[in-house]
Amino acid sequence: MKLLKAVGLIAAISLGSALAQDRTQTLIYGGDWSDLITMDPQVSYEFSGGLVTDNLYETLVKYEGADLSTLKPGLAESWKVDRGRDTWDITFRLRRGSKFSSGNEVTAKDVVYTFERALAIKGPGSFLFTEIAQLKPGATRAVDNYTVVVSIPKTASPGSFLSILTFNIGGIVDSETVQKNAKGNDFGKEWLTNNSAGSGPFRLVRWDRGSQVLLEANPNARIKPKLQRVILREIKEPAVLRTALESGEIDIAEGLTPEALRALSNNPRFRTFKADSLRLNYLGMNVKEGSPFANKLVRDAVRYSINQDELVNGLVQGNGTKIQTLIPKGLLGYDPRTPYTFDPARAKRLLAQAGYPNGLEFELLVSTGICGGGIPCADIAAKIQSDLAKGGLKANVKAIANAEVLRTYRAQNHQMVLVGWSPDFPDPDGNATPWADFNARSLAWRNVWNDPTAIRLANQAALETEPAKRVALYRLLTDYVLKNGPYAVLYQPAVPLGLSVKVEGYVRNAQGQVRFENISKLP
Amino acid sequence: MFSYFVRRMFFVVFVVWGVTFATFFIANVVPIDPAIAALGDNAREEQIKEFRERYGLDRPIWQQYLIYMGRLLAGDLGNSLRTGRAVIEDLKEFFPATLELSVAAFLVMLILGVPAGILAALRQNKASDVTVRIMALIGGATPVFFLAVLLQFVLARQLDLLPVQGRLDGFTFPPPRVTGMMGIDTLLARDWAAFLDSLRHLVLPAFVLGMFSAAILARMTRATMLEILSQDYIRTARAKGVAGRAIVFRHALKNASLPILTLLGGLLGGLLSGAVLTETIFSWPGIGRYVTQSATSLDFPAVMGVTLLVGLVYALINLVVDLLYAFLDPRIRYA
Repeated sequence: MKLLKAVGLIAAISLGSALAQDRTQTLIYGGDWSDLITMDPQVSYEFSGGLVTDNLYETLVKYEGADLSTLKPGLAESWKVDRGRDTWDITFRLRRGSKFSSGNEVTAKDVVYTFERALAIKGPGSFLFTEIAQLKPGATRAVDNYTVVVSIPKTASPGSFLSILTFNIGGIVDSETVQKNAKGNDFGKEWLTNNSAGSGPFRLVRWDRGSQVLLEANPNARIKPKLQRVILREIKEPAVLRTALESGEIDIAEGLTPEALRALSNNPRFRTFKADSLRLNYLGMNVKEGSPFANKLVRDAVRYSINQDELVNGLVQGNGTKIQTLIPKGLLGYDPRTPYTFDPARAKRLLAQAGYPNGLEFELLVSTGICGGGIPCADIAAKIQSDLAKGGLKANVKAIANAEVLRTYRAQNHQMVLVGWSPDFPDPDGNATPWADFNARSLAWRNVWNDPTAIRLANQAALETEPAKRVALYRLLTDYVLKNGPYAVLYQPAVPLGLSVKVEGYVRNAQGQVRFENISKLP
Repeated sequence: MFSYFVRRMFFVVFVVWGVTFATFFIANVVPIDPAIAALGDNAREEQIKEFRERYGLDRPIWQQYLIYMGRLLAGDLGNSLRTGRAVIEDLKEFFPATLELSVAAFLVMLILGVPAGILAALRQNKASDVTVRIMALIGGATPVFFLAVLLQFVLARQLDLLPVQGRLDGFTFPPPRVTGMMGIDTLLARDWAAFLDSLRHLVLPAFVLGMFSAAILARMTRATMLEILSQDYIRTARAKGVAGRAIVFRHALKNASLPILTLLGGLLGGLLSGAVLTETIFSWPGIGRYVTQSATSLDFPAVMGVTLLVGLVYALINLVVDLLYAFLDPRIRYA
């Protein structure tokens, strides 16, 4: 019995002291990280994967804070875009003295290796390099130890390419360490799934799948974090997320329910806020020949039938922003105008004008899952259905598995669909081309909307390098698509977060990036 | 005995094959495309095509089955469509957590269920019997998520006695992974503080998971004991003046153990096949949660792997139960 007491006492003391040392130096970030499948920056294409790898690897250029429209120096201290004969030549000058966690210096050969690696591995995000930037093997050249030139064809947008480089696919890996751990022709893919070889402020110590990811300060990094350790704790259940935050087991909870957010905001121990996302939830209308939506008047009737204010403030409970144009808030070219107001009488008039005086019946396809803002998609569909009915539009809601919704949508077999879209990279072109260019075989194609004006404007804006001119072009495009396109944008969902008041310096940009190095914790 | 064992092992193989066959074809009846489920909305057409080719999804279903079985005989469960990782690696990662939780829940069930059942049988229709029956009714009827969230709220949030989720406190550095079972790994690392912490984390999920089975077990034990206690030989023993305790444990309980053992086998199998709700609510990285996530993303190789494992577990438990019969009841002999 005495022995037991002694053991208990020692355990309690050692536990107590370990906690006292660690608490202010360890940040525990809770959320649903179940989409994590790899820690390899050139393979990862999941939100959680990006969240982790952004802190393990540095990119040549990056965005800082919540601003996604101004590029800042990363590993490259400067860069310039030159107009070659058939190519854009982008020259990056690397800063000296950046080191990987291994202690190796970051040089031009690592940049070349990383870009070639991304092209060779062909990960799920590789189309950003191969299709958007049209980057070819051999197009990245080291001029000297600290200078890299990348050439992309004239048909690609250098602006898009630079913004793609802020994404984890552009995370520069330690070529020596990776090659040492490569197996056969795998470019170290298997090893980098569970290990890190970057120059970011943190290094990966351990990943217990389904449970937690453990990061520690990278001793060789140029950027010194304020915390020694960051732990991503996987908690799928929103109710548990809240309880874990309240009991102090986690410092940050991402993905709370609107109710939990309200309860926490009344508690002085916590801070709550809604982080922006770049997602848009929208209705897509198939305009193929013979479809009622082929008539622009019918599409307008739909847009006038939706009570967006009620949707955003009521059902979404403020976990989203009202928006009608195709470039989300946070990106260059965002247009805050919302000219379509709820006007069912007008919708009815438009329908009559279009030849449907007795109204119109069609099928609205929706996922059985959760839509942005934590609301079941079927609930949103029900609200839309009742709104549309007031305008004389009878939507028969069909709720099916998300993958099945997408398969039908991709096959152009829908009439109307309620889905979400997030741009692949934080540039207006990440939305403009898919939404406007029929030839990109994305959203415009799925809705069979082949409009020469929209295509021309989207292509022009993508290739424009002058920011002011680019904004002007996007203003034209967003306005045109708003009035003519096959979409009715519903809202831009936000990510609800709760934090302990002890946590300082937390910023989450709309792309979902969080720089852990800026976060500190009060005792 | 040996030839019986061999015959039973053959039977195990047959059952497991049946499981693969059924799951494979049921899984492929689902009209949803795993490539779209895995790659998501933004995927390009070429990516989807490449994915289908890589995993052989573009071939006829009987060919897919033959390829799968061929690989399986070579000990390869294939790669997960969602993570690209070998399914066997995922099972190694997630099954130990389920095993740890199941064993703990099994103990909770035994410790609560059997004594409660015996007590209730001995005091039939008395206050303790009624209490046990009511408790068993509540225990069996309370949904897992309700009990879990209630206990989390009271014991963890309000009283701060136990942790809400996970297997180890976030501020405690986890031990090197050897068995994958936190309790054992912390012991192997001689990290006593972490060991105690892991036990604290085990209490709530094990209790929640064990509670339901304990209720069934208590009712079954009570009913069996009541039946046996009314038998002639018990009356004879009593008449001979055998001590009450000896009657209960040596004569009655031993004879009641056969049906209880059968039930225990089934309950343990159920625990080991992964408890989705308990694992989700307590953020416990077990195979229950893994298989749910795999199923929703139509990750057939992963679902097949788990089904195979669970089928094997059930078949082996049944075998052990059968062998234990002979041990407990000398009248049963296997030839």
